[in-house]
Amino acid sequence: MSTPLSFHDEPRGYVPPTPPTSAGGNAARALLFVGAVAAFGGLAFAGVSTADFIEHLDRQVHSIHCSFIPGAGAEIADNGCKTVMMSTWSSVLRTSLWGGIPIALLAVATFAFLVMKQLQLALASETNRHHTSFLVLAWLLPALMSVIFGSIAFSQLGAVCKLCVGIYASSAVGLVLAIVAHVQAHKAQTPVPLGTWGLWFGEGVVYVGVMVLFYVLFAPQAPKSAEGCGTLVKREDPAQVFIRVTSTGTPAIAVLDPLCPACKGFDERIRNSGLDQQLAIDAVLFPLDETCNWMVKGASVHPGACAVSEAMLCALQDSPDSSLKILDWAFAHQERLRADAKQSDAGVRAELERTFPKVKGCLGSAQIKNKVNKSLKWAVSNALPVLTPQLFVGDKRVCDEDTDLGLEYTVHQMLGSSPRPLSPGRGR
Amino acid sequence: MKTANLILFLTLLSAPTVAVVAGERRAATRMAELGAAAADVPIASAADEGYCTPQLKAIVRRVATSCGLVEGGRGCKPADARSVATMGGADFNALFTPLSNRAHLVQFDAEQTDLDDFGRKEIEKVWAEKGGASFFFVVARASPDGDAALNTQLSQQRAQSVMGHLQQKFPGDEDLSKVGLLWLGEDFAQLDTGFCDWNRSRKENGAACTAKDINRSAFVAWIDCAI
Repeated sequence: MSTPLSFHDEPRGYVPPTPPTSAGGNAARALLFVGAVAAFGGLAFAGVSTADFIEHLDRQVHSIHCSFIPGAGAEIADNGCKTVMMSTWSSVLRTSLWGGIPIALLAVATFAFLVMKQLQLALASETNRHHTSFLVLAWLLPALMSVIFGSIAFSQLGAVCKLCVGIYASSAVGLVLAIVAHVQAHKAQTPVPLGTWGLWFGEGVVYVGVMVLFYVLFAPQAPKSAEGCGTLVKREDPAQVFIRVTSTGTPAIAVLDPLCPACKGFDERIRNSGLDQQLAIDAVLFPLDETCNWMVKGASVHPGACAVSEAMLCALQDSPDSSLKILDWAFAHQERLRADAKQSDAGVRAELERTFPKVKGCLGSAQIKNKVNKSLKWAVSNALPVLTPQLFVGDKRVCDEDTDLGLEYTVHQMLGSSPRPLSPGRGR
Repeated sequence: MKTANLILFLTLLSAPTVAVVAGERRAATRMAELGAAAADVPIASAADEGYCTPQLKAIVRRVATSCGLVEGGRGCKPADARSVATMGGADFNALFTPLSNRAHLVQFDAEQTDLDDFGRKEIEKVWAEKGGASFFFVVARASPDGDAALNTQLSQQRAQSVMGHLQQKFPGDEDLSKVGLLWLGEDFAQLDTGFCDWNRSRKENGAACTAKDINRSAFVAWIDCAI
């Protein structure tokens, strides 16, 4: 019986190996072993990245490994690997499965296949250029993906993920070794064995398919995601503190702190996922800063957030866009603003007035402090948890654990069960 | 060779797959365990500070009820401050001592009930410091100079001047319904000169602060007590 796998029956066009006869053949074989090590390196980096992703399928916060040594450098704080993992680029099919299918899993399958194929060919009785040509083509896949995802990481995310760099380096080394092995290998005397290549390609597809299939089958499910975690009891905004972010789609409310790192990531996920086109989002400011928020006991979580919130509400009197410009600016300079505010809140206020002269005269006034208070009181009247960010789709609150990796899936599920009043509007 | 290739194929396919499935099953187990545990996140709520003693809460409740704040709408008629406080003047004042940083005294000229610029600014400043407070108290007084009935009338008008300024400066603010007015005239809970050290509207301009001056005033403060 014939099977599709190359290790059973030799297909038509297969080149039977002949004993090695030259130093070049031995050199090529040695390079194939070294190439297997490069593939194993890629497998290790992708494996750690996949393991970190899978760890988060319990919907909790975990430390993330970020080191050039696979498995080292686990930290709970923000790092480049966390930024990349929490971005919409880290997985595919995110609206169909909580978190989607991680790109790192596809890399694991690819590198596992490459380890296997490198070793099979290195252990074969003869290595010729038909073999090494396939390897060169196979290594082009991770190399090309490295170029694509590397440029996304640098240009879109502005983050350096050390595990990803390990994968890029493994891919580059593997490709170079495959090319050198190809140069060193014997010339084949037969036509290109397309049938053999096809079967080897099929093996790669089996690797990817099996791993993805098992990943999907065993991915943890949480029915709570679609049901949400609570509802709004008092949606109305008599004090007019809502800031219109987008106008098209199902009504939604985002509870934000302009100096909260998680809110910045949340904002990026909303935009990159296209959810801003499906949700008519109003933002409510909830600064976790004790200078205006009595619910924050002890040291401020995000010092300076009250001042920025005041500036945003000042600018709102002009237009929502003016207010959102301040939000974008605050997101871009969060770390520095928090550090500056720790030294002096007045310094942050002065910088706000310099950068946005229109808020001068309004910032710090009794009226605008009163507005910030109204925004906080809106949270009180709805008995919201004291944390940011929070998202309400319709009246349903997206569970906190679903606001990062599972955001697209959860909102997609909620939208499936919500009415969608459409109105002409604008994106942000 | 075929066997070796088969072993390589299966090993490198199964090992990562088993690791992935094992990781997912562990995540599912943790999720089930954590799902049963209650989330430990505080809920947004009005402030209820440590100085909210049962006695202070009782007074807040009585004033709120007398002023119609609890039932909604305005109509403040605390005709007899003694019955609201049900305690001596010194004890009444002592209840508010913990508010020394929160409260402000808006000062008036003798026999006057109109606010000056300092007073207006002080009121706006206090109003902006509401935080999570549930009630805003205005406790107006008069010095013992002159007729007691006139002084009661003066203190009432001083309280109403504060209210009038708030209504003019913050029109439509739903928190105006949280303002409780209390006027004490000259015969109950007079302030001693120790209160001159508190935040007051004429502190910075260096005006004198005698016992009479400090009682020609309205004590204004947000009260961080949930009743």
